[in-house]
Amino acid sequence: MSENNRVYNVLIVGVGGQGIILASDVLGRVAAAYGYDVKKNEIHGMAQRGGSVSSHIRFGKSVSSPIITLGEADVLLSFEQIETIRYFPFLSEKGKVILNDQKILPPAVFTGKQDYPPDVVQKIKEKVPDAVVVDGISVAQKMGNPRVLNVIFLGILSKYLDIPADVYEKVLKESLKPKLVDVNLKAFHEGRSLAAA
Amino acid sequence: MTKEHDSDVRFLMGNEAIGRGIIEAGCSVAAAYPGTPSSEVLESLVRWKKELVHPIYLEWSVNEKVAFEVAYGASLAGARAVAAMKMVGLNVASDPFMSAAYLGVRGGLVVVVADDPGPHSSQTEQDSRFFGWFAKVPVLDPGTPAEALEMTIRAFELSEKYQVPVMLRPCLRVCHARQNITFGVPLPVADVGPFKRNWTRWAAIPRYRLVLHGELNEKLKAMSKDEPQAKPVLMSGTPTASMALITSGSVSSHVKDVVASDDRLADIAVYKVDMPFPVNVEALQDIVDSHDKTLLIEETYPVLELHIPDRRKVVGRLSGDVPSQGELTPEVVEDIIVAAAGKESISRQAPSVKPRRPSLCPGCPHRPAFYMIRQVFDKAVYAGDIGCYTLGTNMGAVDTCLCMGASIGMAGGLIRAPHETADSRVVATIGDSTFYHAGVPALINAVHTRASFVLVIMDNNLAAMTGGQPTPAMDTLADGSRATPISLERVVHGCGVDFMEVVDPYDYTGMREVLEKANTYTFEENKGVSVVIARRPCVRASQAERTSLRYEVGEECDLCMSCITDLECPAFRFVKDPKAMVIDEDQCSGCGYCVNTCPSKAVRLKGV
Repeated sequence: MSENNRVYNVLIVGVGGQGIILASDVLGRVAAAYGYDVKKNEIHGMAQRGGSVSSHIRFGKSVSSPIITLGEADVLLSFEQIETIRYFPFLSEKGKVILNDQKILPPAVFTGKQDYPPDVVQKIKEKVPDAVVVDGISVAQKMGNPRVLNVIFLGILSKYLDIPADVYEKVLKESLKPKLVDVNLKAFHEGRSLAAA
Repeated sequence: MTKEHDSDVRFLMGNEAIGRGIIEAGCSVAAAYPGTPSSEVLESLVRWKKELVHPIYLEWSVNEKVAFEVAYGASLAGARAVAAMKMVGLNVASDPFMSAAYLGVRGGLVVVVADDPGPHSSQTEQDSRFFGWFAKVPVLDPGTPAEALEMTIRAFELSEKYQVPVMLRPCLRVCHARQNITFGVPLPVADVGPFKRNWTRWAAIPRYRLVLHGELNEKLKAMSKDEPQAKPVLMSGTPTASMALITSGSVSSHVKDVVASDDRLADIAVYKVDMPFPVNVEALQDIVDSHDKTLLIEETYPVLELHIPDRRKVVGRLSGDVPSQGELTPEVVEDIIVAAAGKESISRQAPSVKPRRPSLCPGCPHRPAFYMIRQVFDKAVYAGDIGCYTLGTNMGAVDTCLCMGASIGMAGGLIRAPHETADSRVVATIGDSTFYHAGVPALINAVHTRASFVLVIMDNNLAAMTGGQPTPAMDTLADGSRATPISLERVVHGCGVDFMEVVDPYDYTGMREVLEKANTYTFEENKGVSVVIARRPCVRASQAERTSLRYEVGEECDLCMSCITDLECPAFRFVKDPKAMVIDEDQCSGCGYCVNTCPSKAVRLKGV
């Protein structure tokens, strides 16, 4: 744990139903278990019905506000392409981007009234050349469980933070039903190896 | 509050922390009506009760007025009691709330009122601290979840010490924020002894109310003078700095980080007020007098600012330096402080992508109900209400949304247009929980006044929007103990309604027939209000297995888009190259209603 008062700002975004709240909750517990002061905030409610979901996690020696200031996120973990664009202004100049390569079309796009922006991934890579882009659904399907998508990305994210893997393992074991522990631990390590690759 | 086994760290949501504080204070009665962002207070109490084996009575009341009255009654009976609601709920509870301030309390009485600056999921940005001031009820304003726990306990102590109700006013960013929290040891159940008859107090007539008003004013004066939390406390900076900043509640957490992260602002004397009403006015004025300039940053109205008698050196909402609407997010707070300090502003890129429009879930029973209402009553005025089904706007089936229960009340007025034509029709829609909450008196009114409109009660057997809380139709209370279910049909009959039919909205033909009968009864035979109960459990909360039936779009599809524009089902996708309509199997619930509505009969069961 770093001794200075460095504050880590992690923004996790996506669409209702992608497991964002659980992933961010685990990260918050992990940071707390590691001894950090943690603040977290999310917007849900209407999000259950297909809206945007965003979860702010901030930790350090001392953190007061539960929300990240525009331009101050160290990591933007996005589960959906257009949500990455929406929340891009939160990213700091040297910030990391981790993107699940998935499109969830908003209704205006269904009708053809509005186009889904093309080349989102390319545009992000132009701005952030080292962005990590992973087709999470394929990885999750290969693991035989589409519901571990969020934990795969938690694994990738963990590689960019300074908290050791065993703290995540401990919190995952504590917060999941026993029968789901093994598959999620596997997904977490799959994510870590994807980040290293 | 997910499972915690051997870990010492408790990572709690603000509302769960308030629930914990309620238990730690030895409170034994809690009543609430669900509403974002307050609902988790009572939900967490259900879990704390079990975990700590603490004897506390819990109920989801029929509405906030009743919740307040239950808590107030318990207080008179000697218990520590709490009522929890969102800010618009306090509007509903305002009558007993205002009166209770005069009468006072016995056991500590705390009213948790969650505000929603933004607003993110509410009708207004009202500041409940202002309501506290109006009602002369003391208000504690927590800045973080940990503070919310500690202030909950303080609120009970203050309430008992001064014998007044006390409001705890957390904002969304406290209610739904999470942090690591240290616990205290729960007190045994508090009891100030049984109810004692005293009609000049508990049943005071106007003559005694005047006396009680005087007593209340004395209590408030004493609190503002003697209670340390009525005074601003220096949080950071130097007391001799040229600029001061006074803040309170959730926004104080942003203020703290902004001044800490910018060296140019580190000097500012930042003060925080825990109890913005009744605040110590002399202490506020002292700060203003001893600095060249004082900035006020508070959510959402200028409560502290208006308390300062001489505001010539004050900047804030009244001077236009703080925006008059919208949430004070960290970057907004930063802009305000930097500008007030006369420093150069930091430019930040603002998000520009349009927000996603929320939709009713695939398979939601409200969708076919709205669809058929549009089919049978085209060109009607659709009076809507508060709940998931407000999203009927997406289908053109909701034209108005005012407040809880207003669909029925407003329908009674919408039919009174000065130049009513033969084909002017009004159809009101309301959910079951909202109907019990505030729809019943409006329906009695409509029947009695021979108002002619059709009312569709969308009965999904719970309060879906706020996370599936029970309604009075259920046979269990919040914590699973036994309740007497109240039949919706019997209530509707009891309101004097003669035409009432119950129908499954998935039943395409049945729903059409019932609505046509209602149309004839109300609009052709002019027999008054007709009520249709469209009954089917919420697809999200329903325990039923998801059907394995899957559907596909055949080549008969002529791309008329009816499935998207009229049915507005999120499972349909329009593909551009080559142009085609497809069904997203991950989204599709398998309800199959679209088979009925597709004009070219292109949707069919897969594999048949």
